[in-house]
Amino acid sequence: MGLKIKVKRWHTVAFWEWNSIDSSEVCGICQSPFDACCADCKIPGDQCPLLWGKCKHCFHLHCISKWLETNNDGICPLDRQPFEAAT
Amino acid sequence: MSIDTDADTVIVFILIVVFSTLFHLLATYLHRFFFLPLVTTSPLKPSSSSSSSSSTQTSAVVAARSSSLRNSSTITTITTITTTGESPSKKRKPSTIAARPSDSSSIQGTSASSSTSSANQRSSSSSSTSSPSSALPFKVLPVNSLENSFARARDIEEQKRRRQASKTLNDTDSMSTDSHNNLFANAAIGSSSGGIGVGRAGPRTGTPNSTLVNGAKTATVVRRTGVQGKQPIKKLVIKNFTVTPQLPKDYELETWKVLQEAVRAIQESRPVPTSLEELYKTCENLCHQKYADSTYNRLKAEVDSHVRTVVESLSADQTEKEPFLEHVHRAWTDHCRQLIMIRSIFLYLDRTFVLQTLGVSSIWEMGLELWRTLVMSQPEIRSKVIGGILSLVDMDRTGDAVSQPLILSMLRMLSDIHLYTSLFETPFLQASWSFYHVEGGEYATKLTVPEYLRHVNKRLKEETHRFEGYLDKSTRRGLISAVEGEMLQRWSDNLLQKGFEGVMVAHNLADLKLWHDLLARVNGLEKLSFHFGNYVKKTGKALVIDPTKDDTMVEDLLTFKQGVDEVVSKCFNSSDLFLNVLKECFEAFVNIRQNKPAELVAKYLDLRLRSGNKELSDQDLESTLDRVLILFRYIQGKDVFEAFYKRDLAKRLLLNKSASFDAEKSMLSKLKAECGAGFTTKLEGMFKDMDTSKDIMVNFRASKMHNKIGHLDLHVNVLTQGNWPTYPPAEANIPDQISQCQEIFKEFYLSKHKGKRLNWQNSLGHSVVKANFPLGTKELQLSLFQAIIVLLFNDTGDSSLSYKDIRQQSNIEQKELSRTLQSLACGKYRVLVKSPKSKDVSETDEFKFNKDFTASLTRIKINSIQLKETKEENASTNERIFQDRQFQVDAAIVRIMKTRKQLSHTLLISELFDQLKFAIKPTDLKKRIESLIDRDYLERDKNDQSLYKYVA
Repeated sequence: MGLKIKVKRWHTVAFWEWNSIDSSEVCGICQSPFDACCADCKIPGDQCPLLWGKCKHCFHLHCISKWLETNNDGICPLDRQPFEAAT
Repeated sequence: MSIDTDADTVIVFILIVVFSTLFHLLATYLHRFFFLPLVTTSPLKPSSSSSSSSSTQTSAVVAARSSSLRNSSTITTITTITTTGESPSKKRKPSTIAARPSDSSSIQGTSASSSTSSANQRSSSSSSTSSPSSALPFKVLPVNSLENSFARARDIEEQKRRRQASKTLNDTDSMSTDSHNNLFANAAIGSSSGGIGVGRAGPRTGTPNSTLVNGAKTATVVRRTGVQGKQPIKKLVIKNFTVTPQLPKDYELETWKVLQEAVRAIQESRPVPTSLEELYKTCENLCHQKYADSTYNRLKAEVDSHVRTVVESLSADQTEKEPFLEHVHRAWTDHCRQLIMIRSIFLYLDRTFVLQTLGVSSIWEMGLELWRTLVMSQPEIRSKVIGGILSLVDMDRTGDAVSQPLILSMLRMLSDIHLYTSLFETPFLQASWSFYHVEGGEYATKLTVPEYLRHVNKRLKEETHRFEGYLDKSTRRGLISAVEGEMLQRWSDNLLQKGFEGVMVAHNLADLKLWHDLLARVNGLEKLSFHFGNYVKKTGKALVIDPTKDDTMVEDLLTFKQGVDEVVSKCFNSSDLFLNVLKECFEAFVNIRQNKPAELVAKYLDLRLRSGNKELSDQDLESTLDRVLILFRYIQGKDVFEAFYKRDLAKRLLLNKSASFDAEKSMLSKLKAECGAGFTTKLEGMFKDMDTSKDIMVNFRASKMHNKIGHLDLHVNVLTQGNWPTYPPAEANIPDQISQCQEIFKEFYLSKHKGKRLNWQNSLGHSVVKANFPLGTKELQLSLFQAIIVLLFNDTGDSSLSYKDIRQQSNIEQKELSRTLQSLACGKYRVLVKSPKSKDVSETDEFKFNKDFTASLTRIKINSIQLKETKEENASTNERIFQDRQFQVDAAIVRIMKTRKQLSHTLLISELFDQLKFAIKPTDLKKRIESLIDRDYLERDKNDQSLYKYVA
């Protein structure tokens, strides 16, 4: 008679990362890695999400909103084209 | 009447003197003129004046009644009130200064006599009385009753009037005699103050038609009785004395003889022949007769001669030391006793003449002065007394029984005659210094250090209590400093070197406290703290430096810390000096070994916080955390601590091994308070991840997708990369069934959290599997790798799997695989059987499942070796710490170079060592400098290769 083994409980661990971004890349505004949060936040994650523009530039949501608030032009800080969020 | 202010008193007093003098002259004139018999209290017969006179203030009322006059229903009353003068300095109320203009009916006559300025002629009288009754037309009231009746009659209104009157008197200071007389006629003056005697006569409840005696103008007083006109008018004729009374010629000499006899009797300790009261009176009379000066001198000569006989007897005494001191003591106490007695007899002299005359010392002082000049000026006596006292003190110190009262009496004598400081103090202090010099030298070597300290303390107590109350403060200070200087200060270094460590090791709190207190007296606390610091450093270093003691290092350090803390708080008064020394020393030795203590402290905490430590109650755990935190405070490599703590915390959280979530949180808040929020952000993030994961799982289980995974209890901790320690990717082929479940979860998660992706980390999971062994069903608690391997043996039957097979199927990294297989086949519970049997796993081994597996428990936890820290793990942690530190090094280099512009290599390195809080090897520094040069932050000088320049 062979050994019958059945898994009852499986506790495992997963790390999340922002999709389609190399984790070593930094936000063009705060210069913090995308993995980390913006300067105003303490904990990265859903409280400090990223925002992609149609121009394919990505920033911390907090960083780019602050930028757009202070700059009436509403341009992307990297290519100086009007910034539009990619949906 | 009471006078409100002193100024008033003075004014009234002056007025009284002026008045009494004037009135006295008037009265004298009257006596002579009208041949009134003058009755005096004879100074020659003091006993006749009043037998009931009190010692200091006597008011005698001598009422001489002429019976013949009474017979003819007329009474001539001569009243003399003698008030022995109190010392003028003594304030006394001018009791009655009655200006009674409205009460004219009652006052028939007043008489005043002055007894101060003219002591000899101090009685006077005037008389005139009214007749209160028909039978006795003239009545005499004693002064007291008169005063009483005055007092009764007085009221506020009268007081005001009196004040008015005295003001008027003041204003009319230069008025003529007539005006004085007029005023006087309205004023009855009675006073017992300041040596003014005022006689008053006459009843107050007088006859309606009473008349006033008006000074010189009225020579005779014609009195009418109540039944006026029916009786013949009687005349009272007052005649003056023809002869003034004279003192006997040999009065002074004879009187002195009585006193002299008494003085001699006292000095020879015989009973005094005359009654003391009489003697007192005699002295008083002498003073009154202006013989005070000569009496004083005679008395002084008498005492002088007696002291000289004492000197002779003392000089003749050939004994030494104690017997001699006894002799002096007897003579001295006798002398004092005699002086007191003599002074009592001559009290009047002492209180009047001595006080009023400048340059005359009181009888007591005179006696002491004579003793000083006659007895103590004898060099022989003096040196014998001083020497005797010193030798007695010496004997007392060496423990011989000596008569303490004798020494005290001698010291009291010296201080009474003001020779204490000049004669005794200096030699005494010198003797004390030399005594303790010798004793210090002898005992410091003879006794052990604690014994010696106790001895010094005993000595200090003894000297403090020596001559309690007799030593001057300055002497006591000098005396104590003699002990301190010779026994403590001189030896403090020596003692500390010799015995401090021993006492610390023995943890003898009482001795340490004593030591501290003693050294505090001589400003020796710096030295004490120095040795304390050395001890702490030395002991602490021994605990830290030895790698074989690493396992118990933290525990030992905590015990050690507790010990020295107790010493500082209980023995050293928790003074800042020692607290600082303690802090410095701990910081110094804890950081002697780089990183290791920080690592061990983190591990110690892990051990305490990990489950399975049931021996600690919550309270104990809390206090342990606090103690460890103090140790942590001293550690410079806080980053090292953080790294290790984080790694351990991760394990506790992910493997669900934390003993208490509350304890974890409390530790976190402690660290936050200690190092600031920045230090714990990531640790807090870890807790947050755990919480969010729990929420995610709750949502997942509630979702429809959860149905797809069947009965498997799946739990996924979704973590934020940055918060957690980095783990090497652990590849493994997850069994399909599990893998599908994971994918379902992934799907669920990504649907909720867009823009993210999940990476599985297998090395951190754990699982429970149910295994049907032939001998029974068991639940095994396994790590994920263990589970993966065990699952390979599902339905293999008796066939075995080779190492290579397992490796291929599981795709687990080789080292990890070996460890896992070892845990399964070579541990306490052997789920697998390895052939050939050995302790280690090699690549040629074959594995079968253990058919005969049995265990008493149903649930079995198979410890994975992986959970234990590996060398690699340790190294990687250290490596990462160094990586983090590189940035700090870079920043420091740039900071220094930016200010200095250019700097030589050695100077830069030394500045870096100053700035950087952690230990770092110079080679590592050099690497960082090279890296900065590569990145164009710095450049080398073209001529001097060892000179760096900052590139702006």
